[in-house]
Amino acid sequence: MTQVASDAAGGPGFARSPWAARFPAMRAENISLPAGAGGALSGGLVLVGLGASVATLVMPMIGEAFKWKHAIASFHVGAITALTMSLGALFFCMVFHLVNAGWSVTVRRQFENVASLVWVGLALVTVSVMLSVWKGGEGLWSWMGMERGENYLLDKKSAYLNTPFFLLRLAIYAVVWLMLAGLMNFFSRKGDAEGGTEAAARARLVSAPGMLAFALTVAFAGFDWLKSIDFGFFSTMWGVYFFAGSAFVSVATVTMILAFLRRSGRLEGVVTVEHFHDLGKLMFAFCVFWAYIAFFQYFLIWYANIPEETAYYIHRKQGGWENLTTLLMIGHFVVPFLILIQRGVKRNPTLLIAMAFWLIFMQVMDIFWMVRPAVYAGAPADAVPGATALPLDVLGILGPVALFFGLLIRKVVSSPLVPLHDPRMGEALTHKNYV
Amino acid sequence: MSALHPDESTAQRLAAGALPPRGSPAPGTGDGTLIDTPGVRSPLVLNNRSFGEVTNIICGYTENPPGRWWLPVFGLTSTIAGIGTLMILYLIITGVGTWGLTNQVDWAWDITNFVFWIGIGHAGTLISAILCLFKQKWRTAVNRAAEAMTIFAVICAATYPGIHVGRAWMAWFMFPLPNANAIWPNFKSPLLWDLFAVSTYGTVSLLFWYMGMIPDLATLRDRADLRLRKFASGPVLSPLLPIRIDRIRAYAYGFLSLGWRFSSRHWHRYEAAYLMLAGMSTPLVLSVHSIVSTDFATAQLPGWHTTIFPPYFVAGAIFGGFAMVLLLLIPCRELYPNMKDFVTLRHLENMAKILLVTGMMVGFAYSMEFFIAWYGANKFEQDVFVYRATGPYWWAYWAMISCNVLSPQVFWIKALRQSPLVIFIVSVFITIGMWFERFVIIVSSLHRAWLPGEWHMFYPTLVDILIFVGTFGIFTTLFLLFLRVIPVFAMAELKAVMPQADPHGHHDDDHHHGHGEVHAPKGGH
Repeated sequence: MTQVASDAAGGPGFARSPWAARFPAMRAENISLPAGAGGALSGGLVLVGLGASVATLVMPMIGEAFKWKHAIASFHVGAITALTMSLGALFFCMVFHLVNAGWSVTVRRQFENVASLVWVGLALVTVSVMLSVWKGGEGLWSWMGMERGENYLLDKKSAYLNTPFFLLRLAIYAVVWLMLAGLMNFFSRKGDAEGGTEAAARARLVSAPGMLAFALTVAFAGFDWLKSIDFGFFSTMWGVYFFAGSAFVSVATVTMILAFLRRSGRLEGVVTVEHFHDLGKLMFAFCVFWAYIAFFQYFLIWYANIPEETAYYIHRKQGGWENLTTLLMIGHFVVPFLILIQRGVKRNPTLLIAMAFWLIFMQVMDIFWMVRPAVYAGAPADAVPGATALPLDVLGILGPVALFFGLLIRKVVSSPLVPLHDPRMGEALTHKNYV
Repeated sequence: MSALHPDESTAQRLAAGALPPRGSPAPGTGDGTLIDTPGVRSPLVLNNRSFGEVTNIICGYTENPPGRWWLPVFGLTSTIAGIGTLMILYLIITGVGTWGLTNQVDWAWDITNFVFWIGIGHAGTLISAILCLFKQKWRTAVNRAAEAMTIFAVICAATYPGIHVGRAWMAWFMFPLPNANAIWPNFKSPLLWDLFAVSTYGTVSLLFWYMGMIPDLATLRDRADLRLRKFASGPVLSPLLPIRIDRIRAYAYGFLSLGWRFSSRHWHRYEAAYLMLAGMSTPLVLSVHSIVSTDFATAQLPGWHTTIFPPYFVAGAIFGGFAMVLLLLIPCRELYPNMKDFVTLRHLENMAKILLVTGMMVGFAYSMEFFIAWYGANKFEQDVFVYRATGPYWWAYWAMISCNVLSPQVFWIKALRQSPLVIFIVSVFITIGMWFERFVIIVSSLHRAWLPGEWHMFYPTLVDILIFVGTFGIFTTLFLLFLRVIPVFAMAELKAVMPQADPHGHHDDDHHHGHGEVHAPKGGH
């Protein structure tokens, strides 16, 4: 932290950068924020986040109208949203190293920042998991409270769906992601401190096996934390679906950070309209990729019409949930597709901020669509609360997401806004799309 | 500058505008392109070729007589193609009973081979469209050949729907054409979507390939025309028909190049059209094999109905397609003079890495299928997968796993993914493995369906086998013809990624020259 603080004050790390001598844009005040910048906003968000999270989890204790399962589900939506931002960012960090990307060097630090907060998402998910373990059948994962012999399908799956193994898997995912995110950040800071090409080469070396571990852990985490809420449902595509949403929301988050940094007068000539154009293309691409995966998963299940699988979708096509399903189709794909396909939008950071907000909201809605309908599945209609439970949903989602963004602001401020010495920095600074 | 890393000095020397003596590259960098230092881009064209040299070398492949190998190889492949065509004729005359299909396994090699060939085609579109959008400059050395391969693979694939309807003269019923009996194809059938997907794909790929070729065809036209004007005599078609070959060339290439005059307005239109076609082809890379996968995945048959099929088929198609590109290009770069200057070891290494990535993607899909078959707790689904691995077709399953998942793992080792021989051998394995993948999915799911009384094995007949072998003949024959008449490399694009094409070249950022720091040469990967 002290090293970082001195860097942020224009310390030796900046002076040693060979790029600073060649590109005036790499001057210290352009690529760093003063220590404590955004402190009020960050503190406020953290307070709001903590307050909303605690309130969500206290409500079931005080009011009969608020069910534990509902509270945990809402909180879980926010927690998973925060986690997917970090996971997607981790994916991009590794891809940039693997393909030796030049253009992305000036935006990579923000991907690293978001990825390094994977601990926040993990901690939040751990809270919802632990509460569910504590509450058993009242928790989010109904199978946690079920006995052997109670359900045929669960008995068949109990070698995988049992609480000890579930917790062990959580620990494994946590170790893998914390290690990968930690290494990505470690090598990046090492490059800041030492210069040269060694750190970048090491990061690439780690990324290759890292990607393999990432693919497997993300797929199974998606199974555990989203799919197994409805333990009867299964889909081989689920891991890819979870990944698609993660990659999608992380680009939106990073684009938003960078656009705000540009508005605060930083990164001028470092992150240019060309970089926003490319980030916009990534947003567009993953918007389409998400739709592709989501569509085919639905379509193949609809077409084959096998009851074990269709139950999941049928539940989301009635009881009011059909409105959310329609919103996702239009808001998560059609609208952003038509907007982001335009060149002018991708080259306009202000519009991109609006798009990023919308897309993050859509990711929340997508996770909500996966988690929330399961809460009152099978319950009689009069047991489903109407607007009275709305505070629970709003606070439950707001809490983890606000907490995540509050901590993210602190993280962004704490280090130089770009990797100072990256050997590919020259390419990124002179990056042009031409078309 | 003496403090430079040896890799970097090699890169600078090879890519520099000045012409230092041609020597051997620094040790550890292969042909000088295997530079691994982050921030250093390896040269894409070796030996300081000038634009003129590039044109002469590449046009020379079509203008000069081919090597002695060409005619015997062409004779062999066209014979195989001929046998395959005769077998198709026999099939049409006799009927699909000549295949080894049974009541139980009523869809076997015909659809296996169709999916196999359609998959092969995907590398071409990926290279020409997706890598273009990703600004991967190394694609310029392989895109023309890969796109040609795509077209030929689609031709081979398109043969199968035509013949496996049984009555080939009724094949037009596949198209939704109005007819007197008001019989329409079933629009709810994935097989019809397949028809639309594949024909769209074939059309767009052909357009993309042809449009990218126009400037190069114009170059060939101008060169033939120049020779006609400059020299009174030249090779003629035959002594009886004394038409100069250059005259035929001038007319043929002249017709195909659509009046291209290399004007800046032409280039402007060309670039715009290229980008639009790249944008349109990109969804096609994903859509075609996704639709092909729905042929199976929409069914309720255990082993076919699984939601990961669309992206899994796409990854597998790219995997198989890149293996085929390498199978074609590695021998070519040995057989044609100077081709190693354009298809460098770095190009091969990049493609080997793509093989490793896509191979692990299909490995991921295999394991997901297995896991969900267990997790789904459906007895029939589980048994299909157990039978795949341990039943009568265990050899096909393990051939698939070892070829597709295990064999590319050698590319984790740098020395092996940089060796053309190793890449070639692994590509052979992958091609075999990808055929077996389709065979496993199709036949192993069909041969033991619901009732044990209906369990039958599938045995291919000679007609099955010879038609499949014949499509390889058709494919290679077309590729050999392509090598003779069309520039194997996109010359115009290749020149655009050479150092000379950079208007700023070594003059950009003048103010920082002489600071003694690394100045990475421009280039692709």
